Amino acid sequence: MRVTIFDYGAGNLHSLEKALVLAGATVRAESDPLRCLDTDVLVLPGVGAFGHAATRLAPARSAMAAALEGGLPAIGICLGMQLLFESSDEGAGCGLGVIGGRVERLVATRVPQIGWNTLEEGVDPLLNVAPLSWVYYANSFVTRPARAESVTAWSTHEGDRFPAVVRHARTIGVQFHPEKSSAAGVRFLAAALAECSG
Amino acid sequence: MTLARRIIACLDVAGGRVVKGTGFVDLRDAGDPMELAARYERDGADEIVYLDISAGPEQRATLLELVSRTAEGVFIPLTVGGGIRTCDDVRRALRAGADKVGINSAAVERPSLLTEAADRFGSQCIVASIDAKRRAGGGGWDVWVGGGRRNTGLDAVGWAARCAAAGGGEILLTSIDRDGARTGYDVELTRTVASEVDIPVVASGGAGTAAHVVDVLTQSDADAALVAGILHDGTTSVSAIKRCLAEADVLTRASLV
Repeated sequence: MRVTIFDYGAGNLHSLEKALVLAGATVRAESDPLRCLDTDVLVLPGVGAFGHAATRLAPARSAMAAALEGGLPAIGICLGMQLLFESSDEGAGCGLGVIGGRVERLVATRVPQIGWNTLEEGVDPLLNVAPLSWVYYANSFVTRPARAESVTAWSTHEGDRFPAVVRHARTIGVQFHPEKSSAAGVRFLAAALAECSG
Repeated sequence: MTLARRIIACLDVAGGRVVKGTGFVDLRDAGDPMELAARYERDGADEIVYLDISAGPEQRATLLELVSRTAEGVFIPLTVGGGIRTCDDVRRALRAGADKVGINSAAVERPSLLTEAADRFGSQCIVASIDAKRRAGGGGWDVWVGGGRRNTGLDAVGWAARCAAAGGGEILLTSIDRDGARTGYDVELTRTVASEVDIPVVASGGAGTAAHVVDVLTQSDADAALVAGILHDGTTSVSAIKRCLAEADVLTRASLV
């Protein structure tokens, strides 16, 4: 299976690449968003800031949105999940908009949320295959979907309940970092890939 | 639900090797930081810190190679500190495979470095690393730099607040008085800083027993405790520390899930 990581040039893709390779994928990092679409599975990684990533995404925004709507399997992680939405308080520019709603700052005293949190009401089928008790978060912003049906698991930081996993077409978005959530997180990523190839 | 309190295993490295020896006889190579990091992950460590105490330019490439190798086999967050002076240093460490980068002396010399790095890479990966020492005869703590060799005269609590305002996403707070002494963390320092800033604070310096970790996490709002020597020499283990924390009703990530 060919997996392509969209490289916005911001940060660490190393662990993510390795976790995907361990799951049996042939992985490449690609900085051209249009060429990213020539793949079996697209991965939007979770590093950097929204404005910068939106700029890098801009030339291929409508093509990528159409590909995801058309059923290209995709996995968005942290910022990569936020890019599935329309816009963000973190920075200017447009996300893909395949899921309705905005990205907003966490309403909490301790921001960024850095550390291990739990999932609530996890009805996502992947959690049956690869259960997650604790997941690692490193984020100041969270998504506010227009429709709650998009959300298949939630987490809460202080008093703010936010989507941990979202779904649309064959796209999975996770706000946490599975590639940093130890062995269980790596198993979750492998299960997500397996679902993409199914 | 609230975040779990974290136990962070810290390794001092120079030229890509662990500097202080370890008491583990079952490691293939007790000097390989990667092997120790993987061991601590299996035992339930929530993060790994590599503190590069050589930080010479010629050894920088070796460190980045080590970071890269570690990121391929260790699937918990990895922070790299020591000798980070520019945005380009931050970029190189992140590209090599670090999740967070600790900035210490360079932030004192040029506080805008924290802001530039946070704007470019996000606050969540910028750790403001502060070495604090109690003022002789008086109250409060000063910020020391250069590996604890030079007093800046800055008030540590005020400096922590400035780091948070400048874009630091986390404070790694080391007590120079307690570092290596194994007499317990400086709880008062940790409590004072953690109540002053809204970003997570990592307590560091002084752990001699698992009970010391319990003390600092029950008597302050620190999010995490950094542990080094007592793990490396086998005095205690991450899982043993987490059992003590559980008995004290401190929430941690259960290991091996």
